[in-house]
Amino acid sequence: MSKTDSVLQRRVSLSEMLDSESFTDVVKGFVELYKVGIKVFDDKGAKLADVKIGNGDFCGYVFSFSEGRRRCTATVGRVKDGPVECTGGARTPQFDAGTPGTPQTKAMVTVPCFTGLRYVILPILWDGDTMGRVVFGPFMPEDLKEFPPSTLTDITQGLDVANARNLVLKVRRAPEGTVARVMLHFWQLLNTMLFSGQKMFLTSQLHIEATRDQNRELEERNKRLEDANTRLKELDRLKSAFLATVSHELRTPLTSIIGYSEMLAEGLAGALNNEQVDYVRTIMDKGETLLKLISSILDISQIEAGKVRLTFEPMDAVELVQGSVSSLLPQAHKKGVALDVKLPPDVPKGIIGDRDRLRQVIVNLLANAVKFTPKGGRVGVTLTGVGQQPDLSAPGYRIIVEDSGVGIPADQFDKIFQSFYQVDSSSTREYGGAGLGLAIVKSFVEGHGGLVRVSSEIGRGARFTVVLPVSPGIQPQVQIAPPVTELKAPVDDRF
Amino acid sequence: MQLNHAQRELTVKIVYYGPGLSGKTTNLQMIHQRTQPDVRGRLLTVETHDDRTLFFDLLPVFFSTANGFKVKVKLFTVPGQVIHNATRRIVLQGADAVAFIADSRRNAAAENNSYWKNLMENMRENALDTAQVPVVIQFNKRDLPDTKTDAEIEETRKKGKEPVIGAIAIRGVGVLETLHAVLQSAYRTLDARAGLSKNIGLTEKEFLSQVFVNVDTTGTELEKQFPPKKPTGAA
Repeated sequence: MSKTDSVLQRRVSLSEMLDSESFTDVVKGFVELYKVGIKVFDDKGAKLADVKIGNGDFCGYVFSFSEGRRRCTATVGRVKDGPVECTGGARTPQFDAGTPGTPQTKAMVTVPCFTGLRYVILPILWDGDTMGRVVFGPFMPEDLKEFPPSTLTDITQGLDVANARNLVLKVRRAPEGTVARVMLHFWQLLNTMLFSGQKMFLTSQLHIEATRDQNRELEERNKRLEDANTRLKELDRLKSAFLATVSHELRTPLTSIIGYSEMLAEGLAGALNNEQVDYVRTIMDKGETLLKLISSILDISQIEAGKVRLTFEPMDAVELVQGSVSSLLPQAHKKGVALDVKLPPDVPKGIIGDRDRLRQVIVNLLANAVKFTPKGGRVGVTLTGVGQQPDLSAPGYRIIVEDSGVGIPADQFDKIFQSFYQVDSSSTREYGGAGLGLAIVKSFVEGHGGLVRVSSEIGRGARFTVVLPVSPGIQPQVQIAPPVTELKAPVDDRF
Repeated sequence: MQLNHAQRELTVKIVYYGPGLSGKTTNLQMIHQRTQPDVRGRLLTVETHDDRTLFFDLLPVFFSTANGFKVKVKLFTVPGQVIHNATRRIVLQGADAVAFIADSRRNAAAENNSYWKNLMENMRENALDTAQVPVVIQFNKRDLPDTKTDAEIEETRKKGKEPVIGAIAIRGVGVLETLHAVLQSAYRTLDARAGLSKNIGLTEKEFLSQVFVNVDTTGTELEKQFPPKKPTGAA
């Protein structure tokens, strides 16, 4: 529910409907034209406009006598705060014939001043409410028989009648009916100003209210989304922690299985016949495969749980590449895939990184390359020298792993770096694996401040380029941020 | 409802709700046309260049009761376009009764349903008890092709407690009948809640006739009940 009541729920005041400055300009223009002063008050008695003309000297003179001051104050009080009714000396104005009988005409009253001058008051009626009043005057009524009247002369012995007569000449002299018509004209003007002013005020206020309400709604929605996001992240973390624990628990007994199989195969528990050796070696091989898979799951779950820290120290890139290649050589050899290594003429110097993790990067890329390259194909690994890397805007080097294998469709380039993703995920697929290798590669390379790119053509092989900076930065350790799945706010059709 | 005993003033708020282009503004324009100027204010409308309501329309109707209570009935419309939901919610604040203007055409059914739900939602958001704020349904545009039949509308009526009125607002058909029904429902609910007849001496008859004697009921179902005074020059 909206916190505050809308502007539509309350009465709008005159000052809210009228622009004070332009309204005063209009009143001034009117006063100049008709030479009669105008005062406008709201229903609380606050003055919205007050333009005097002509009567200043005369009224000032009368006001200089104490009794004059007293009577003047009483008259002004009657005009300003008294009821707009025919009471307390007020009466209906004498209208000219043909003056339209509008509600405004009917509500108008005339208030005489003791000096013989007069005021006409027009209530501001708006949607059934009296919002304030317009006071016209004082003016010198044309029908005044005698000036000065006794009510003026009896205020003091010392009143200079000739001076009073002289000063009152400056006050506009007009028939009451004319003043009333002028007032109706003024009312039409005021009515239009009030209507457009009210419209402007209400719509601008409502615009603000609606915007505020919309913001409130959006904030509430954002809050709900944030809460949901926090809960999801927590669940994700729990899942990764669970995976890490399970992988660890799986690995321990598996190492024993592999170890004991190896001992059996070596004949440590007595000689085996050839068939038995074959069986035991199969147990070992499959155990190794399973161990690698579990290690990958452990790695990725640790990355996702935010538990992986890279430790940076000076290292030898050539040794890194050669070491990685040598661990893949038996596999390549077995499959009949040639493995070429290209090293730069100048040994890259001053390289800093996490040797073990980068080794895993190259091993994973090479293992993939060998896996997806058929017999007779070739896999190459290239280490470049150090040079400025536009991709990183820093000096760095590249490790390129390319193969002549099956290739990767272009629309899969992004997806292959996601955990558990396989280009071919059918149950009958040709190539095994959990789909974790490249996700691990990406995390480790990015942890070094580097990046990994892929280019490929179906049937013609693939090329993975790892771009790494010479030094990942000043921090000796970097915690790899768990990959956050991007949560887009649901698109609201309304906007 | 705002009841100010000190100022002897009662303000009743009626909101015309419904899908975009169902005829809410047209209803108010017709009421404005047929009501004498001394009991109504000017019709305030804020429209976009293509005649769609941007914020709201407002038509104030006012009168004084026999024992000097000032009564103001404020008729509002909401903007129908989907994007203006916040404005609809604000205009609906403090409503005493709602006239739901539905489009009778068959293909408008989904839209009517969705705005009906939106009305219920916004009433809840404004802490208006849907059981306490009466709603009158107007099936507008009865003259257009492919509208629901009277029998089908009768079916709709049976599904709920709301009075259902057929209308061709653009020709003034059913507009005053809808206003009458919505004012009557509003009065009855407010009387039950605040004892209008007991506390301020305002009976249903006076409430309705104070409005409708000043309305040109010629050619409507209300003509007998509130005979038009004279041909009005109201415009």
